[in-house]
Amino acid sequence: MLRGGIIGFGRMGITHCSILNSHPDVRIVSISDTHGLVRKSAQKYLGVAAYEDHDKMLQEMNLQFVVVATPTASHKEMVKVALARKVHVFVEKPFTLNPDESRELVSLAEQATAVNQVGYVIRFNDVFMEVKKLLDMHALGDLVMFKMEMNGPTVLRDTKGNWRSSKGTGGGCLYDFASHAIDLINYLLGPPDRITGTILQSIHSADVEDAVGTTYIYNSGLRGNILVNWSDPSYRKPTHRFEVLGREGKIIADLHAYKVFFRRKPRLNEFSEGWNERYITDFAEPCRFYLRGFEFTRQLDHFVDCMCGRQRCGIASFAQGLETDLVIAHIREDAQNACRN
Amino acid sequence: MLAEIDRIIFGDNQFFGINHMSEEKAQAQAERFKDVHAILKVIDAAYDCGIHAFMFNTHDRVAEICDHFRANPQKYSDLRLYPSMPYAHKYANAVNEKGMIGALSEFLFAGRTVGQAVTTIVRSGRSIVNRDMIEVMKLLVDAEMRMFRGLNVRAVFLQNIVTDLLLGLRAKPIIIEFADHAQSTYGVDAAFNTMNMPRLVDFLEECGIRNPIVCSSINKAGYLMSPSRQEYERTLATKQFRPMAMSVLASGAIPVDEAIDYVCSLPNIQGIVFGASSRTHISETRQMILSRWGTRTVPCTIS
Repeated sequence: MLRGGIIGFGRMGITHCSILNSHPDVRIVSISDTHGLVRKSAQKYLGVAAYEDHDKMLQEMNLQFVVVATPTASHKEMVKVALARKVHVFVEKPFTLNPDESRELVSLAEQATAVNQVGYVIRFNDVFMEVKKLLDMHALGDLVMFKMEMNGPTVLRDTKGNWRSSKGTGGGCLYDFASHAIDLINYLLGPPDRITGTILQSIHSADVEDAVGTTYIYNSGLRGNILVNWSDPSYRKPTHRFEVLGREGKIIADLHAYKVFFRRKPRLNEFSEGWNERYITDFAEPCRFYLRGFEFTRQLDHFVDCMCGRQRCGIASFAQGLETDLVIAHIREDAQNACRN
Repeated sequence: MLAEIDRIIFGDNQFFGINHMSEEKAQAQAERFKDVHAILKVIDAAYDCGIHAFMFNTHDRVAEICDHFRANPQKYSDLRLYPSMPYAHKYANAVNEKGMIGALSEFLFAGRTVGQAVTTIVRSGRSIVNRDMIEVMKLLVDAEMRMFRGLNVRAVFLQNIVTDLLLGLRAKPIIIEFADHAQSTYGVDAAFNTMNMPRLVDFLEECGIRNPIVCSSINKAGYLMSPSRQEYERTLATKQFRPMAMSVLASGAIPVDEAIDYVCSLPNIQGIVFGASSRTHISETRQMILSRWGTRTVPCTIS
């Protein structure tokens, strides 16, 4: 039985706690949080030990792993403390606010031989796992153009005092929301060779951007756009839409379904020439527990499997979190250069 | 005494752009039902067809629908409601904006006059940050139930995101207190929506909740049935509870007659929740369920 702790018992911390606690090989024995009511409630109703100081929790609770689900600016310090205690670490996305810090953590995790993962949950979505398989098989031929859109109603007014609306704490659409879209493109197509034409636009927030637009350029000839907006009230919940065109066909995908178009009869028997529509119900694998989507369970089960040695640490590792942080840093740099010009 | 559950209950996901299979379909439905009159037209079609039981999420727009019910008591004299709370996205967005404590404060005092808000504070005797979580949960339930005041509520459902969150956390006291609160304040059974039915049924038994109402996705495709369709079938056949089926059509993945054949062939199902957007579909689906279930249901008055 693996003993785990949660650092930061907010919405994501509680979700991870519930999913991990339902795993037969895991027991969440403690949490740490800065808020007294949260600690008191967790202690009283969940029967876990609750700490204000995460390092004290690590010292006293004999943990094998922690989940870090605090605001992004504190990830570096929390992860560092955990790795110093030689525990495995799952950290919420984005990894850190600075690629140099992320690089340091990648190397510390290696030294500690700790299983490490960043919460890029969309990599574990049924549809995008299918899309990844098709792209890895080169099913569309050489890729030419793509478009990654992500929209949601997350911020519909200026909310001062919240870390999500503050500069320097990991607030803003680029870090907190667009990082999912940026990571997904890294996963599906790889990081770009060059970034240009970035726009970071504020809609409601005074200090941070609410929308991100940028252009990716690859040496292979592939070009594409990332268009992300977390202040769009026309959406009920965050929505992803990915479209990629190759010389032999095209894929359009969201979290629930994808369509693939083949210019001629493909080698893959299950598809025919022209449009092929696939819903999640056609290919989703059963999953032991459901909370907010199978991908949330699957990402944590991957983490547990890696800790138990059943799988190699691979999907959404710290090293991949670093790659995404690097792209985010390039996007920010490109936006600043555009302002200067 | 345990209240009898309606055999056929009309669900509301289609009105609010909720479709577990397709974001495009969800968007099209949201556009179609942007006007509350379009929703009421479909509700009336279901009611005229003999479906008088409705499951409603506590979406803001359901408050408008309830106002309409209250304004026309004669027309809806046999109405039976199954609220399902909370509508999670309104909380999720508020938590993003204000943090957990800020969001809780907002919902406790939403739509209240200053006087009512003061009463709430006085009732608890303390500010939100010092409250007990159970007390906060009860206040939230009461806040959500306000929109159904004066209407015939048959059971109070905990929405699946919250049920399954508490299930994973194994938060027994909160589940037990929720059930007690539904019974003592509203005189009805608590009920539970879930995507993890077999595990939940075992857990409710551990909580000491006898013969619970549990509504879960049950469909031939095995969609949204964790851990597996086989486990669901085993639980239905062996456990003592009042199962209800939702997502029987798996958001359109299974042909309707095949889907209804499957769910009606299972043992012990007490009620089926389904949603549809046209009079024809409502009537056809209802007829199909009635014919599979034989004489156990009342006949359709108008079709």
